[in-house]
Amino acid sequence: MLGKFLIYSATICAVLSIVSFLLVHFGKEKFLKFGRTFYNIAAASVIGASAFLLFIILDHQFQYTYVWEQSNRELGLALLISTFYSGQEGSFMLWTFMTAVIGIFLMRYLGKGDRLEPQVMAVFSLVLGFLTFILILKSPFNYVWDSFAGEVEYGFIPQDGRGLNPLLQNFWMSIHPPTLFVGFSSMAVPFCFAVATLMKNRYKDWINFALPWLLFSGGILGLGIMMGGYWAYGVLGWGGYWAWDPVENSSFIPWLIIVAAIHTMVAQKRTGGYKKTNLILCISAYLLVLYSTFLTRSGILGDSSVHSFVDPGQEVYLSLIVFISSFILISLLAFILRFKELKNLNAEPNKLLTRESALFVGALTLCASAIVILAGTSWPIIAKGSIDIEFYNKMNLPIAIMIAFINGMSLLLKWKTSDEKTFFKGLIFPLILASIVTVGLVIVGVRDFLFAIFALAALFSFFVNAEIAVRVFKKQRDNVGAYIAHIGLALLFLGIIASSKYSKDENITLEINKPVSAFGYTMTYIGASTFEDPNNRKDTKYHFNILLEKDGKEMVLKPVMYYSSFSEGVMKNPDIANFSTKDLYISPMGLVEPEVFGDTDMVVFKKGEIKQIGDVNVEFIDFDMGNMTPGGEEIQSGNFEIGAKIKVKDSKYTETLLPKIKYVEGNPEYFETKMSGNSNYSFYFVKMNIVGEDQGGATATLAIVDNRTKQPKEGDVTAESLIINASIKPFINILWAGTIILVMGFFISIIKRKKEIVS
Amino acid sequence: MNSKLKMWIGGFIILVFGAIAFTVFSESKIEYVDFKEAEKRLRKVEVKGYWQKDKETKFDGNTNTFVFYMKDDSNTEMKVIYEGAKPNNFEVAEAIVVKGKIKDGNFLASDILTKCPSKYEASPEDIKKES
Repeated sequence: MLGKFLIYSATICAVLSIVSFLLVHFGKEKFLKFGRTFYNIAAASVIGASAFLLFIILDHQFQYTYVWEQSNRELGLALLISTFYSGQEGSFMLWTFMTAVIGIFLMRYLGKGDRLEPQVMAVFSLVLGFLTFILILKSPFNYVWDSFAGEVEYGFIPQDGRGLNPLLQNFWMSIHPPTLFVGFSSMAVPFCFAVATLMKNRYKDWINFALPWLLFSGGILGLGIMMGGYWAYGVLGWGGYWAWDPVENSSFIPWLIIVAAIHTMVAQKRTGGYKKTNLILCISAYLLVLYSTFLTRSGILGDSSVHSFVDPGQEVYLSLIVFISSFILISLLAFILRFKELKNLNAEPNKLLTRESALFVGALTLCASAIVILAGTSWPIIAKGSIDIEFYNKMNLPIAIMIAFINGMSLLLKWKTSDEKTFFKGLIFPLILASIVTVGLVIVGVRDFLFAIFALAALFSFFVNAEIAVRVFKKQRDNVGAYIAHIGLALLFLGIIASSKYSKDENITLEINKPVSAFGYTMTYIGASTFEDPNNRKDTKYHFNILLEKDGKEMVLKPVMYYSSFSEGVMKNPDIANFSTKDLYISPMGLVEPEVFGDTDMVVFKKGEIKQIGDVNVEFIDFDMGNMTPGGEEIQSGNFEIGAKIKVKDSKYTETLLPKIKYVEGNPEYFETKMSGNSNYSFYFVKMNIVGEDQGGATATLAIVDNRTKQPKEGDVTAESLIINASIKPFINILWAGTIILVMGFFISIIKRKKEIVS
Repeated sequence: MNSKLKMWIGGFIILVFGAIAFTVFSESKIEYVDFKEAEKRLRKVEVKGYWQKDKETKFDGNTNTFVFYMKDDSNTEMKVIYEGAKPNNFEVAEAIVVKGKIKDGNFLASDILTKCPSKYEASPEDIKKES
């Protein structure tokens, strides 16, 4: 009850906070402290509800449906905490929590000067109100007897929970979603600033105090996206770091817009132009966050993504639509009401060869990329079918080339007026350096024309920024952030070139203990071994050990495959050998065991029946149930072993054999049995067939293989073989380094921009 | 530079970009069709269907391909050759979606999606199991 009560309290206080702040906006100054108090109570309620959710998870209170659905007693602390947000309800709770906390910091920040506090907080409280409202509809605090009313009796407490989806049982699960949600939540701040500006009809100074927030959003969301990429690459085994999956796209699109906004804001700061652009970008960034949430949470993309989506139900679907449409409506209304003022905002026309024009064109290019990705991601809603991911690659390649060139050039241009001669002179040196390296790359093997141009553009941007960074670092350390971010981006681009176009991959079948050479390595599958996973003792996990040799050096890679009882399927994790210039990436694809017998080898026996098979005489005596209880619970569980006792006679000997069959999780395993004096025949017990007593009881299916005539067919696997997809990812380290440097750049810039408003 | 000229240049660039985007877009569309339709298309398509358990289903170690037979919604059966090993959840999948194109009467799949009964959805039976 406590959890639900706190959510209701948060919703009501958020509404009261909106009303109070609006009253302040309309001139009733004394309501300011009410607004603040109501916001604080709303935020405290959200924090309280989150703490309560965490408590019931840690305390294993399985009478709560959410806790029962997402966790169990087996999970270690870190994963147990991450079940907080592994389900839909919980992830809305996390989003709301982050929003509430950010709001507390935001309100203090706004109070430090004339920073549009009532207007910003009115809109921000509305955001919080909507989120808490969704939590009323989609509550993590439902009891099982309410969720399954009529089927589960009142007061019933399950002993254990269902557990966490094995795909999520991973270190990255602890940090990737929270980071992403901080990013998503913080995107509300620029939105609120923009709407507040329109309300206040004052378009100049808001960018000064909004800019650090934009940098924060961009940095943290970028970090979250990057972590997701690494998770997909290193653990989930997608084979790459980016698959243009709807979920990835939906965090990437707002990121592109916010990055565009950062650039045009800097331009407005310096020149006073681009006021409307900034408003539009800040507003659309958050609208796109909401739209993506809708895309990925509403279940409409269920068919076209590797992420598994659960249909959240009609109410949530509708409330998400209401959430988005009201925000679109508010934004449109604000623009319409301020149409006249906005029209008269036109700054003096600027020249093309200036820094601000270049920044604007760059921002437009980023938006073009966002629009392309948005169109591709939304396509499955519009039409039946999907979009080949090649679409994203083909479209974004020329865009990325432009971004790199524009970036390099913009930094050589001056604000407001540029001397053409100095500009062209400045171009020469970095262009020559970039060309030399590009020629080198072409010689090494970059033969694709567009990729060579891309490399040239990235290198150009790299050298321009590196030169400025060194210069700035000596003089004004604070200003170095932007250049560091750009260097990161250039490195990221170079990493993309190397690792996408020039990665090689091959499907390889590794027969056990038989060395195979690929990519200059000798690989030998040396067998599987089990290992313990403290978070999951239910399933037996296997390492498939591959011995890797090159130039006398050896290492063992251990990709993982196991049968997951939770997902009722095989889970696979890759293993990676990380070298300084490349990764050798091994994805397990499957284990193939030779077929020991075919359909023609099957013979069905009744009890006591004698049959002549080739030159042997076989009698089926009885089943051997071992120490199984009759009627056997073991059979229900899918883990049991039975045997078939048979008497085999050839021209010389008579022997009694006991071929067995063992079921592990319902999958049969057969054991070869031979006579000690005659190896011509192999006997397998294949199946016990239950038939009515009137037909003589159960029968046994045996496979009797004549080893003299058994010939493997073309393409048949003749020994236990591991199938892998091996690939070489050249210079992927540059890509990771680039992303980390890029994100660092954002955070360094925040410090600078914060100092600017204080001074 | 006057603003009119700037607008013309800007408009031109947007037009060219839009045209390129449109072309690439229509090339990249993957339509949802059945095997009969797929035969008429030369492009990559998506076909949904059901695995034929009783027909040959095997991994070919020589070509590194996984071969099986699939029947689509309009009961056309076709041999599917997938470049890779048997995908996750293949046996338990309710339905299978293959992406690729038809060549010489076989469907060459570059991608397989397995559609699983939504086991992430909780049911009261599950709860009782735990007690």
